[in-house]
Amino acid sequence: MSEIETVIAVSHLQKQVLAADANNNQATLSILSDINLSISCGTSVAITGASGSGKSTLLGLLAGLDLPSAGNIALFGQALTTLSEDQRAALRLGKVGFVFQSFHLLEHLTALENVLLPLELGNNSGDLTQRALTALEQVGLAARAQQLVTKLSGGEQQRVALARAFVTQPKLLFADEPTGNLDRHTGQEVAALLFRLQHDYQTTLVLVTHDESLAAQCDVWYRLADGRLQQQEPSA
Amino acid sequence: MNVYWRQWARRWRLSEMRLLFLALWISALAVAAVGFFTDRVESAMERQASQVLGGDLVVSSSRPLPDDYRQLAAKLGANRAEVISFRSMLSFDESTQLVQVKAVSTSYPLIGELQGTKNLNAASISLKGQLPASGQVWAEPRLFHALQVPMDATVVLGKSQFALTTAVTKDPSQGVNFFQIAPQVIIPLADLPATGLLSPASRAEFSLLFTGSEQVIRELKANLEAKLTPTERIRSLQEGAQNVEQALQRAGRFLGLAALLSVVLAGAAIVLTAASLVRHETRSVAVLKAFGLARRRILVDYLGNLWLLALIAGVLGAMAGFFLQALLAHWLVQVVAIDLPGASWTSAWVSIVTALVMVTGFALPALLRLLDTSPMQILQGSLPAQKTLAKVLILSILPAIFLLLWIQARELRLTVWVFFGLIVAVLLFWWVTKLVLNGLARLSTRPAWQWLALMRQSRRSLLLVVVFAMGLFTLLLLTALRTDLINRWQASVPTDAPNYFLINIQANEQAPVEQFFQQNQLQATLYPMIRGRLVEINQQPVTSEDYPKAEAKRMLEREFNLSSFANFPESNTLLEGKWFDTQTQGFSIEKGIGETLGFKLGDSLSFDIAGQRFTEKITSVREVRWDSMQPNFFVIAAPGALLDKPYTFITSLHVPSTKPELIPQLIHQFPSITAIDTSAILGQVRSLVEQATLAVQGVFAFTLVTGLLVLWSALQAQRPERQRELAVLKSLGASSQGLRQRIWLEFLLLGGLAGVLAGSLTMLAANLLGYYMFDLTVSLNPWLIILGALVGAVLVASAAWLNLRSLLRVAPMVLLKT
Repeated sequence: MSEIETVIAVSHLQKQVLAADANNNQATLSILSDINLSISCGTSVAITGASGSGKSTLLGLLAGLDLPSAGNIALFGQALTTLSEDQRAALRLGKVGFVFQSFHLLEHLTALENVLLPLELGNNSGDLTQRALTALEQVGLAARAQQLVTKLSGGEQQRVALARAFVTQPKLLFADEPTGNLDRHTGQEVAALLFRLQHDYQTTLVLVTHDESLAAQCDVWYRLADGRLQQQEPSA
Repeated sequence: MNVYWRQWARRWRLSEMRLLFLALWISALAVAAVGFFTDRVESAMERQASQVLGGDLVVSSSRPLPDDYRQLAAKLGANRAEVISFRSMLSFDESTQLVQVKAVSTSYPLIGELQGTKNLNAASISLKGQLPASGQVWAEPRLFHALQVPMDATVVLGKSQFALTTAVTKDPSQGVNFFQIAPQVIIPLADLPATGLLSPASRAEFSLLFTGSEQVIRELKANLEAKLTPTERIRSLQEGAQNVEQALQRAGRFLGLAALLSVVLAGAAIVLTAASLVRHETRSVAVLKAFGLARRRILVDYLGNLWLLALIAGVLGAMAGFFLQALLAHWLVQVVAIDLPGASWTSAWVSIVTALVMVTGFALPALLRLLDTSPMQILQGSLPAQKTLAKVLILSILPAIFLLLWIQARELRLTVWVFFGLIVAVLLFWWVTKLVLNGLARLSTRPAWQWLALMRQSRRSLLLVVVFAMGLFTLLLLTALRTDLINRWQASVPTDAPNYFLINIQANEQAPVEQFFQQNQLQATLYPMIRGRLVEINQQPVTSEDYPKAEAKRMLEREFNLSSFANFPESNTLLEGKWFDTQTQGFSIEKGIGETLGFKLGDSLSFDIAGQRFTEKITSVREVRWDSMQPNFFVIAAPGALLDKPYTFITSLHVPSTKPELIPQLIHQFPSITAIDTSAILGQVRSLVEQATLAVQGVFAFTLVTGLLVLWSALQAQRPERQRELAVLKSLGASSQGLRQRIWLEFLLLGGLAGVLAGSLTMLAANLLGYYMFDLTVSLNPWLIILGALVGAVLVASAAWLNLRSLLRVAPMVLLKT
């Protein structure tokens, strides 16, 4: 944590999109306005808000999946707005993990192959299969490694997604409603696993959720409303 | 294992990937099998044609040919033989006989072999590598009969004496000249000057025969053509044997067309499959991008994947095509005993290139769309904006189709025709289907027609109908053409087609010869044959000097074979004027000769027949089918008109193979008659026709499979949408029974509609193609529409049922989850 104290630094971030109304007239819609944010290494940050408040848009911008309309975002000290799509991708490679609400596992692959994927993409050497198996073991799914993910339950699929996210031991993990598609009990299990792994690997976590009990478990909690970010006291 | 290979192996699990492979494989297989096969048949044909010609390229003239032609050929590395032929008198004891002298160089013949015998009572054997030695002459068997000369007798030609040592039964470059009355004798070219027969005024034909690689011949031809003087003419394979070629050209064109359409159909399957592959892979790409994969790497990955897939499909397809063709050829060789030369490897390359072009042209646009996938969509669940269809079509698919058509047809005119034909067909299908579906949707709002509501999904149905209609159209078109073509061929060489020509039947032998035919149940009509030289057209004298064209010059230098009879010849077609009735006089001419020499209906022609002038007006023009194996005449006079002139009779007849003794008996009884056995030519024509027929059937089968593949791809592409729809309907309480009926009804209607469209267009296109490409007559066959509707409905509904029935068995909850 010495060289990069701040993993993400955001200043005066704005995002506007063109949206068509019922008469097909294009109008500018402001989603995010004047967002300022700094995330330190190893912390967990929750962002909550109502549906359509722009949580996912913010997450995408922070990860460099999209570019803001105005303002600056620095990821690992690099200004994203000066980078091309491929340069932004290279910045993420091996350092950033994702967990999505609808898992987004590749259906024609087995659990093991899904976990292997990020390892194979980066320049990793050594016994990759063993590393992937270990990751599956950590989420309690080693026994089902060879099964196609379509044969797994929702909770199991999200656990495979967690193994896939953590297998490269990323510095930063983005989680978009990781429990949104799961029942309460399974959701709690997956959340517990997420925080355990985050803690074990000292990963910086950016968590977008509408589940306040989940947000409460993070070090820092922001609320997104009317395109603006407000810090929430964890105790609140 | 390398990451790329692993990704590739994993992606292979996608059904779209396998379907893509299958489409590529079948295209490569069809292209290769057709290519290999037509290649071999073409070489067989060319070999035969060059035998008739005597070389791959022949230059002839009525004057000695300049030395620089020989030097040019030597420089380019072509093989060369020389032939000088002319007519002269040959004498033995006190008798003389007009003969066709052929003086040949030591390298003669360049292609094929002479056959003959030293003993007139023994069978012919191959005389490969042998030629008459200096002081020897070889002759056709009929010279021995005509002069009553024994083997090894000494005969005189000009100032030289020759020993007559061999009877030649087959000269490969003699060709099929039925009307060469004088028997041919062969002497060494080196012996010619000593005979003193050739003076500058002599009428002789000087020929240089060449063989060599295709490249050498092409170069030689181009060089020679630039130097040719008006008296010289050049002949190459393209102008060789015409009658066999005609049948084969049609077969070749049909095969080409069928392979072409299979490729286009497979192309449609690839576009559809690639589209559903992309839909499937979009999410994967978004995930990979989120994880940090660069666009370039995604492009390399997918492109490498697809090219590798195409390469493997191409190689395997070429191999399978080769084996299939070898199997077909092996079987053919057994059935018709024809000598097929080996196949060249060009077709293998063509099939591999085809697979690569297909995957690049048809799948690349979809692939490029993948690159534009934003990783953000994974968070938002939205699909990227699709590029307009028109742009993709114009930039990638259309050029790819054009290129493929061209690779296959290698003929620009055909390519352009088929290309625009296909575009018109698609647009037409699109437009009509849209009209019909809109009509059905409107109709379904009325209570009695509510069951048609399932046709309201007009965008989806539109695509299906157009795709199905294109597939069915291709199949029906080939079916229609194939049937017509095969019937036509078989009619052209009936099993009782004449296999002998009899010439030189003397006028006084007419009655006994006819009696001989009758006794032996042979069917034959004797036609009088009168030889005359054309001397005037419309009372204006004509000579060969008046015509720049070598063909016209030749016609005027030679004597015409005229005839005179009452019944219009069966194998001819009357184009203009009226055939003779009992009162009329005049000439009936063949169309081509009129065009060459510039006379037409109403003009008058004067012939010099044995020193007497005979003039008549042209009263009719005929088209002659020269491959009919019947005696055909350029000029026919009214019945009885020429019979005061000297004439002989000619006829053709079919001698059953069970009675081989008939012809020797006839010759024995009438020694002046010359019998020419055409069964070998006929046999070749027939075997080639059989071969072509078989090949046509085989290629048709490929097209059928490709058609089914397209059908399946189209269904597969819409499967996810159908799946959601069925889940919703089931969750709303629809019974499995009801859904089953719904699927059958919808696809019976769609298939039937596609079939009607395809059948209608086939009726039009089969006639157009048949008329312009295959010389078939025009006929409107409304059955095609009914057949189209039935085949379409049954085929499409069955395929749809097979594709979708697994979705019916699944519980709706699972459908919603997936």
